[in-house]
Amino acid sequence: MTLVEDPDSLFLRSAQNALRSTDGDEALRALGWRDLLGSLEEDPDARLGVLAYFQAQGRELGSSGALGELMAHPYAGLFGEDRAVTATVGRRSARRGNRAIVVGTPGSNGILIDRPGHGISLVSLDTLELRPIGFSDGLALHEIESDLTDLPISLGEAQAVALRERSVQLGRLAIAYEILGAAETALAGAVQHARDRTQFGQPIGHFQAVRHLLASARVDAAAIEALAHLSAGQYPALPPMRDAILKALAGRNGRRICERSLQVLGAMGFTAEHEHHRSHSRVLVLDALLGTSSSLAHHIAVTLRESAGVVPDLNLSVAALRAN
Amino acid sequence: MSSLGPPAPAEDAAHADITSFAAAFEAWLLSRPAGVVGASFPQPTTGARMETMRRLMSDLFAEGWGRWGWPEAFGGLGGTILHRAVMWEGLARHGVGGMAAFEHLEVLGPTLLAMGPPEFCAQAFPGFLDGTETWAQGFSEPDAGSDLAALRTRATLDGDVYRISGRKIWTSWARFARWSLVLARTDTVESRHRGVTAFIVDLRSPGVEIRSIAQANGHDELAEVTFDDVVVPGDRLIGSLNGGWAVAMHILSSERGTFAWFRQCFLLQHLQRMLQWGTPEADGLLGDAVLDLASVGALSIDALRVHEHGATLGPRAAFTKLVLCAAEQGLFNWALASDADVIIDPVDERGLDLRAAYLFSRIVTVYGGSQQMQLDTVAKQILQLPA
Repeated sequence: MTLVEDPDSLFLRSAQNALRSTDGDEALRALGWRDLLGSLEEDPDARLGVLAYFQAQGRELGSSGALGELMAHPYAGLFGEDRAVTATVGRRSARRGNRAIVVGTPGSNGILIDRPGHGISLVSLDTLELRPIGFSDGLALHEIESDLTDLPISLGEAQAVALRERSVQLGRLAIAYEILGAAETALAGAVQHARDRTQFGQPIGHFQAVRHLLASARVDAAAIEALAHLSAGQYPALPPMRDAILKALAGRNGRRICERSLQVLGAMGFTAEHEHHRSHSRVLVLDALLGTSSSLAHHIAVTLRESAGVVPDLNLSVAALRAN
Repeated sequence: MSSLGPPAPAEDAAHADITSFAAAFEAWLLSRPAGVVGASFPQPTTGARMETMRRLMSDLFAEGWGRWGWPEAFGGLGGTILHRAVMWEGLARHGVGGMAAFEHLEVLGPTLLAMGPPEFCAQAFPGFLDGTETWAQGFSEPDAGSDLAALRTRATLDGDVYRISGRKIWTSWARFARWSLVLARTDTVESRHRGVTAFIVDLRSPGVEIRSIAQANGHDELAEVTFDDVVVPGDRLIGSLNGGWAVAMHILSSERGTFAWFRQCFLLQHLQRMLQWGTPEADGLLGDAVLDLASVGALSIDALRVHEHGATLGPRAAFTKLVLCAAEQGLFNWALASDADVIIDPVDERGLDLRAAYLFSRIVTVYGGSQQMQLDTVAKQILQLPA
């Protein structure tokens, strides 16, 4: 018996179908995604479904508020709220410091704003000043422009620490899946082009230089997929730094996949008309959230080095074997 | 099994459960068994490495740990490949530096038991497990490297025996081995992969000559093996007559897939030992290496699970192999960038060991199917690009 390719899960395919016919927030309703979110901790299948949505959103370049809702999940019920709550997604600007980003189309829902060192504030989104940011990838993004320094604290730092860790872990897992999906779409476009485009009287996919570019990209995708699936299975018992390692891997490999795909597409892939730039941009945008691949990889290296010779369990170990 | 009280002995049937096995094996390792301690020091020669590992395997077999993960009919105690994965992970974590010829347990072992002659394997395989009789794998030839199907070593039926003549090269650990799998031609050269058969050859047979190859890293586990009219009993086939290609593919699924688990266990130990010499300037390389090591871990866990369920990875094993190469080279790139002593002045036995490992990492993209052949496999069989 030989396994050639892992078939996509049923949920992944359903989510892609939903995203082809409707917008992301409607797709979440149609898929019963919020029900799955409710049993994220205890039900591994529900967890895989919740995360597969992000892979589908990456593949189809959809837009939704799913990331903020997922990151708000660890705080669910804390504030007695009866309306949908989402969380902002952090990023660090070299020039302007920590920024809070709203992912998806902003509504009138409550939003959790995390300010490490201070705590968590729950505020109504329509009281905040938002500035649309982002890029050509179709993902709705807004940066909060309002001054956040005097926001009332809803959850003090002492209580926030453990929940924040969960929130960031989930966010990084989801982003890794979405980067994987977007990179898969970029690669699929390049593979199709290699079959169709003829030069020197042959499809360019016949030439080894092109084949090896695409094969290397496929290997990079397999690595993201394997570590994402392993991590999704292990959550919430992730080993130290796993979320950072996964997010850094997804960002690094995702960018490489897009670059190799673009090289195969040639100049046509650099036009606004060609769809490549949309998935490529999606990967770049997602790499900027919750720590870039460069900053995370650097953080991982420094942490390891400063552990004075004791490698924290990278969990390429017995515990990983026992998971699932 | 209760978590209280002394750990159950190795042969306790409760260890069919991997959690129970892992806990009991860890308790044994913590008692610092002499064989484990002995194998955790760098060895000055390939022969010394081999002898140290033979002693360790003998101890593991006698205690029972080394029998888990192998069927009872072949000297084992039952269980799955996960038992072996746990055992080697623990050995590496407790300082054992590598597997020496026993890496072939994980490369050849699963195929031998799945496709080899059962009676012969029942008699011979326990000797592999207990360290007395190791195996080698004769694939490559001087004119058949990446193009393995061009191999010319020939096996001719003569009554009820085969006579094998030809030359194998890059045969790891052949000098120490009693048995070798030998891929030989049983049809015309033009028949390519369809006319190849896998034989079990006793390397003590008349007509076998083994010459070590001195390697650029100071080791000499590689060898050239010549067969001059070597007699092999007619029933010493693995798989069927002219079915050797399927045997080779089965082996390569282990060598490129699950084997990555065992190798990364030792790479993590290198990482741990070298961290104290890491410098901030090399942090970028360290970060990249960790990402690749984590990828190898995840991909090889998938491979272990597939094999645990009796399947093989097929062409997906190329993913694992390619990422393992990236991780191994990345790790040693970082080591060298952190401290050039690795190459120019290794100072002590540990340093010499590291230099040999660094140099070996330069060639990992060649053995077991070159990086270029792995990429070809992905392009052809997974991306299905036009040939």
